Amino acid sequence: MTSDGSTPQTADMPSDELLEPQPAPVRLQTPGPGAAGARTPRPAPPATKRAHSVRLEELRAFYGSAEQVKGVDLDFHANEVTAIIGPSGCGKSTLLRCINRMHEEIPGAHAEGRVLLDDANIYDSSIDIVAVRRAIGMIFQKPNPFPTMSIFDNVAAGLRLSGTGRGDLHGKVESALRGAGIWDEVKDRLGQAGIGLSGGQQQRLCIARSLAVNPEVLLMDEPCSALDPIATLKIEELIDDLKQRVTIVIVTHNMQQAARVADRTAFMLSGDLVEVGPTQQIFTNPADHRTEEYVTGKFG
Amino acid sequence: MSLASSASPRGAGRPHFQEELAGLEHSTLDGIDLVLEQIDRTVEALRHQDVELSSLVIGDDDRIDGRYLEVHQGILSLLARQAPVAGDLRLVAALLHTIKHIERIGDQCVNICKLLPLCGNEPPTVPDVLELVLRMGTLARSEVAQSKLAFANRDATLAEDLVRQDREINTLQRDIFRRAIEIGEDPDIREWAMTMTLVARCFERIGDNAVDIGEQTAFVVTGLFREFSDSRTDGAA
Amino acid sequence: MSTPAATPNSVLAAFAPSAARRRRDRAARTVIAGFTLLALVPLVLIVYYLLEKGLGSWSGSFFTTDPTGASFFKSVSIGGIRSAILGTIELVAIASAIAIPIGVGVAIWLVEYGRKSLFANVTRFFVDVLTGVPSIVFGLFIYITLVITGLLGRGLAGYKGSLALALLMLPVVIRSSEVILALVPNSLRESALALGAPRWKVIFRIVLPTALPGMVTGVLLAIARAAGETAPLLFTVGGAEKTTFSPGAQMNALPLQIYNDILSPTTSVINRAWGAALTLVVMILLLNLLARLISRRSRLA
Repeated sequence: MTSDGSTPQTADMPSDELLEPQPAPVRLQTPGPGAAGARTPRPAPPATKRAHSVRLEELRAFYGSAEQVKGVDLDFHANEVTAIIGPSGCGKSTLLRCINRMHEEIPGAHAEGRVLLDDANIYDSSIDIVAVRRAIGMIFQKPNPFPTMSIFDNVAAGLRLSGTGRGDLHGKVESALRGAGIWDEVKDRLGQAGIGLSGGQQQRLCIARSLAVNPEVLLMDEPCSALDPIATLKIEELIDDLKQRVTIVIVTHNMQQAARVADRTAFMLSGDLVEVGPTQQIFTNPADHRTEEYVTGKFG
Repeated sequence: MSLASSASPRGAGRPHFQEELAGLEHSTLDGIDLVLEQIDRTVEALRHQDVELSSLVIGDDDRIDGRYLEVHQGILSLLARQAPVAGDLRLVAALLHTIKHIERIGDQCVNICKLLPLCGNEPPTVPDVLELVLRMGTLARSEVAQSKLAFANRDATLAEDLVRQDREINTLQRDIFRRAIEIGEDPDIREWAMTMTLVARCFERIGDNAVDIGEQTAFVVTGLFREFSDSRTDGAA
Repeated sequence: MSTPAATPNSVLAAFAPSAARRRRDRAARTVIAGFTLLALVPLVLIVYYLLEKGLGSWSGSFFTTDPTGASFFKSVSIGGIRSAILGTIELVAIASAIAIPIGVGVAIWLVEYGRKSLFANVTRFFVDVLTGVPSIVFGLFIYITLVITGLLGRGLAGYKGSLALALLMLPVVIRSSEVILALVPNSLRESALALGAPRWKVIFRIVLPTALPGMVTGVLLAIARAAGETAPLLFTVGGAEKTTFSPGAQMNALPLQIYNDILSPTTSVINRAWGAALTLVVMILLLNLLARLISRRSRLA
C-alpha cells in the first residue's frame, strides 16, 4: 500500500493490505499537460501500465428502505474512461458513491452486492475502508480544497490523512501537481491558500490531492458542472492524460462531455442499467430505444 | 435495431430541433419530387424528340442544384448548433448523401436532354430500340419514386427491393447495347443508336442513384451501412 | 390616481406617493427613532455612571492591594480589589478548563456522530433547557450537592464556585460550538473521507481547524458571561479578603466584592464598589472585542 514500505501511523490500518501482491512500485512519470494554453509534447508513458479494473456485481443501494440502485452489473475496464449518463435521480451518483464506499457514510444508507477491485471485493468485512478509499479516489462536483491549508498542504493532506507513506513529501506533492497539470501555475505559490485559486484551478488542485495518494481508480462526480467552458476543456484534456495511470469513472449530466472524454458509456434509468457500450456506438446507434430517446433529448 | 424508434413520432424534448430536422427531411424528399418531374419530362422529350422540352429540363436543373445547396447548408447549420446524436445523426448523414444522389439524378436528366439535339431534328428512329429506352426511363422513374417512399416510411424491405428493379434496368441496358451493335449500316441510324446507348447509360446511372438512396434508408433504420447485393457488376455494360 | 400620460412628468407623477402616505412614513420613522433613543438612554446612563463613579477609585494601589476588612476607621486604608480581580480570573479559568473541553466534545458528538438520532435530539433539548436556567440555580445545585454534604471537602471553596460557573458555561459552549461545527460544509468532510481519512482525523484535522475561529468566538462569549455572574458564587465561594491561589479555599471575586461593598455605609467602600464594577465591565468589554476580532477572521461567519 505504500511505495516506500513505511509502517502506517494510525491504529486503524491493518497489517494485511487491500491488494495482495502489489506490483513493484512504478516511479511516477511526471508528464503533465502544459500550463494554460498550448500543450507541450509529453514524454512517453510509463512502461508498465497499471491494470486495475472495477466490476460491479448485483449492486444494490438503499436509502433506508428505498432502493435507489437496483441490481447493477457493470464493468469498468482498466485504464479506460467510463461515463455514466442518465436523467436526474436515476441513481448514477449513488452508484458512484458505492464504488468507494462513501454511500454508507450517509445515515441510514447501505449497499448490497459486490464491488470488485481487480479480484478483491471491497465490501468484504475483512477489508479496511480507509485502504479502499486510498485506492479509489473521488473528485466532487464543487471544488473543495481545504480552506485552512495552503496549496502544498492541500496536496499533502491526502498523504497525511490516510497515513500513507510520507517519505519525500515534496517530491510527491510536485509529482501530483504535475499529474494534474497545474504545477507550472502554482509552483511559485505553494504556500498560498488553496482557496485563492480560480474554480478550474481549484478543481485541478483537488485532482492533485487525490493523485498524491496514488490511487488505482478515480471517480468523478460531475467534476465540471461548476466550471466555465475553458476550465472544463482543460479538465477533459487532463482526464485523457490521466487514464494512462488510473481507471476513471465519470458521472456527467453533459452528454457531449461523455461523448468527448469517455471510451465507454453506460446509461442508467430509474436505478437500472439500461445499456453500456463503446461511446461511439451509444451515440450513433444505441441498442435500446430508451437510450436512443435519452441521448437525442426526447426526455430527461 | 431501432426500427420502431426511427419511425416513432417525435417525443416531447427539443421541439425546435425536431422541427428543423423534419424540415430538412421534407426538403430533401421534395427534391425527389423535383427530379421525378425532370425524369417525366425527359422521357416525354425522348418519346417525341422534343428539343424544346429538353431545353426546359436543362434550365430547370438550377432548381435542383439550389435545393442541394439549401439542404447542405441546413445540415451544416444543424450539426453546428444542435449536435444531433444516434438516430438523428444517422438521419442527418443520410440526408446529406441522399440530396447528393438527387442532384446527380438531376444531372443525368440534363445529360440525356443534352444528347437529344445532337440527333438532329428528325432523326431516324428504330422503334424497338426507342421502346427499350423509354421502358428504361419509366423503370428508372418508378425506382426513384419507390426510393422516396422507402425513405419516408423508413421501410428497409422496400429499399432492398430496389435492387430487383435495378437488375431489370441493367438487363435493358445490355439489350439496347446489343441491338445498337446489330443496327445495320446506315450511318445516321448508327449515330442515333450510339446516342441511345449513351442515354441508356444515363438511365442506368439514375437507377444506381436510386439504389444508393435505398442504402441510406437501410442505414438510418439499422445503423449499419451495407452495399446492397451489387447489381452493377452483373455483366457491366 | 391614474392620469393620462400626456407628458413624461405626468407619468412620474402617477407613481409619486401621496402626501398622506408621506406623512404616515414620517410618523412611523419618528416613532421607531424614538424607541431607539429610549433604549439608548439607560445604556448611556449606565456607562456615564460607571465612569463617573468608578474612575475616581482607579489608581495604582487599587489594582495592587487586597481589600482590608477596615471600613470604620478612616486611618486604615480600605485597600484595593486585587484579590477580587485575581479571584475572578482564577475562578473563570478553572470553570473554562472544565466547561470548554466537555462542551466542545459534546458539540462534536452532536454534529459528527449523533446527528439526528433520538438521543442527540434529546440531548439538544436538555442543553436548550439549561441555557434558560437562572444562574442562581446552578449555585444552589452546587451548594446542595457539594457544600452541604461536604462530599469533596467541607465548606465553601473556590473550585465549587468554578463548578457552578462551568455548569453555567456548558450549555452556551455546546450551543455555539454546535452551530459553528454544523456550518462547516459537508463537502469538506466528504473529500477528507474520500481521501481515506478515518473519521476522527476528519474531525480533528479538517473540521475543527476550519471551525476554530467561530468556536473561539463562542467560547470567549461564554467566558465573558461567566465572569460577570454573581449568583452562582454566592453560596459556593464565600468571598475572602486576602488573595489566595488555592482553589480549595474561599476566594474573592469581582461580583462578590461589588455585592458586599455596595451595602456598606462607608462612602469610600461604595466608591470601591463602583471602581470594581467599572473594572468588571472593562474586562468583559475586552473579551467581547477580542471575540469580534477573531470572528472577523473566520471563514465561516
